[in-house]
Amino acid sequence: MKKGNKYGIHRVIEPKGVLPQPANKIDNNMDEIYDNEILIDVQTLNIDSASFTQIEEQAKGDKAKIAEIMLGIVASQGKHRNPVTGSGGMLLGTVEQIGDALIGKIDLKVGDRIATLVSLSLTPLRIDKIKEIRSDIDQVDIDGKAILFESGIYAKIPDDMPANLALSALDVAGAPAQTAKLVKPGDTVLIIGAGGKSGMLCCYEAKKRAGVTGKVIGLCHSEKSTKRLQDLGFCDYVFSADATQPVSILEKIEELTKGQMCDVTINNVNITDTEMTSILCTKDTGVVYFFSMATSFTKAALGAEGVGSDVTMIVGNGYTKGHAEITLELLRESDKLRKIFTELYA
Amino acid sequence: MTIACRYGTHRVVSPKGTLPQPAHKLDNTMSIYDNEVLIDVSTLNIDSASYTQIKKACGSDAEKMKEMILAIVEERGKMQNPVTGSGGMLIGTVREIGRNFPANRLKVGDRIATLVSLSLTPLKINSIKKLSPASDQVDVDAQAILFESGLFAILPDDIPEKLALAALDVAGAPAQVDRLVTEGDIVCIIGGGGKSGILCCYQAMQNAGPSGKVIVVEYSKENAQRITDMNLATDVIVADATNVMDVYEKVMAVTGGRGCDVTVNNVNVPSTEMTSILITKGQGCVYFFSMATSFTKAALGAEGVGKDINLIVGNGYAKGHANLTLNIIRESKPIRELFEKLYV
Repeated sequence: MKKGNKYGIHRVIEPKGVLPQPANKIDNNMDEIYDNEILIDVQTLNIDSASFTQIEEQAKGDKAKIAEIMLGIVASQGKHRNPVTGSGGMLLGTVEQIGDALIGKIDLKVGDRIATLVSLSLTPLRIDKIKEIRSDIDQVDIDGKAILFESGIYAKIPDDMPANLALSALDVAGAPAQTAKLVKPGDTVLIIGAGGKSGMLCCYEAKKRAGVTGKVIGLCHSEKSTKRLQDLGFCDYVFSADATQPVSILEKIEELTKGQMCDVTINNVNITDTEMTSILCTKDTGVVYFFSMATSFTKAALGAEGVGSDVTMIVGNGYTKGHAEITLELLRESDKLRKIFTELYA
Repeated sequence: MTIACRYGTHRVVSPKGTLPQPAHKLDNTMSIYDNEVLIDVSTLNIDSASYTQIKKACGSDAEKMKEMILAIVEERGKMQNPVTGSGGMLIGTVREIGRNFPANRLKVGDRIATLVSLSLTPLKINSIKKLSPASDQVDVDAQAILFESGLFAILPDDIPEKLALAALDVAGAPAQVDRLVTEGDIVCIIGGGGKSGILCCYQAMQNAGPSGKVIVVEYSKENAQRITDMNLATDVIVADATNVMDVYEKVMAVTGGRGCDVTVNNVNVPSTEMTSILITKGQGCVYFFSMATSFTKAALGAEGVGKDINLIVGNGYAKGHANLTLNIIRESKPIRELFEKLYV
């Protein structure tokens, strides 16, 4: 076997010298794998929601056309990176072959069912056939193969839950795992965008870590998600507001925390202009964790300085050690979470 | 005096409900609310992006530039360039202090520099006394308001005002390095040869100590040589920070394949996120000071290579940052001389 680079640079065709994610074209020849790669027999692609929405619109909802667009992307790039949104997704499959250099070094064996937790935007992929498109949950069943690089992360699919349920939770695994690391007993925690998929997981985890002496506040947008989160009972307080309006939310949080503000604020909301709300609701010595991909770096950096806040602002990293285990465990622990995830996403 | 908001929202004229920075127009009436400070302004230090834009728009004509600055402040009640969105800082003397402004921090007559942006500071200019297209420091007869949350530094007696202003402009960077770097750390400063880079190097060398390492990645050969001459790093690498694999291999060679505990990114060009992420150890930390940082490139990049590291958004403010920065100017004669030569 040929020796490969840890980050998969050996698969980059053009432009030369870049990593697989920014590359325009990568080598998706699966006849022979490099010594540090894992070959996966793919069953399901979980397309990133922004990407799938764009493809669906372009195809005007026609499934044959969706299939054609997807095949076109992979044919030209060797991976499924949407040329408009730049995003990818994840996949579910079975380990078919493991490179010589990895044997004995990883906890996988041929035949294991895994989900890849690195983006499809950097994963070499070949689609032989598109079998079924499930538009309502952005999942596509295929015949095909993919390559996982040495630096690639993955999770073994557990036996005790349906693969689709596991996949939907693993998609946002980073958020609850980072929440677990950040929140300490007694903390006051604000979750912005608390009613969505990652928001609900964060609320549950935050309450578990903050404990009876802590307080978890959930901020939702729609009435429906507010009601849903209230019914779940994870938060000490849930309210509905527009997260782009810093002044009114600041007043509400001042009231709820008796002027103390929050130790940790987790921003999960995928709309722009919520940086100042996150900063102002957080204590001067606190932490803001931005999971939202709509975060503007400059608005956050200049915003904190502008109001003289010494807050620590962290860029949400979708990966942290043990994130898959932590997230799957939440679905085992909480029947409520498992039920709502099965209803909404699986 | 009326009761007012700590962040100055009581001064926002339009649009309602926003904070002073994103606001289009502020009330610049120079009678203070009870939590504000009134400043007699002597010099505006216009942000360099803003000043360059004004200079271009006016064909480097000093009179036209004066008119343009006056027009911006007349229209908006603050010196926020409508094209670049940026502001700058000011130097002035405290004229009046509201009774509810936090006690014992300032007294009337103090010379101060404001450390919050002009883009959110109510300002009224009576006249522009001196403007030279070559310098972004503009002498004025003006008044400004500092909000309760506003940051400032009292100007020291032992450092010339303009030197102090140049150093305070980047005060956040060395102060954050002071918090992040501990003894024995391997630190990499990308873009270490510029103004904030030099201050970061000095602080990193102090904190990492003899068992640590401070590596500078710098594009300009001249700046790199200066770091070597001033002994501000243990290793200096001349490279283009956007070339990920080149920098990665050079840093790995210097660190024996271990990578860095702390990486500080000071370089103002796009697409240096992956370089910063790859050279940092698992469980390590990247501090992005560069305003050219892309949030999504950093977030998705770390996940893409499976790196469990802390990615931090550079905050220009850290408690005690002004004192720490001025102390570097006092402690290091070579840095003081260099800054006097380059920035004063």
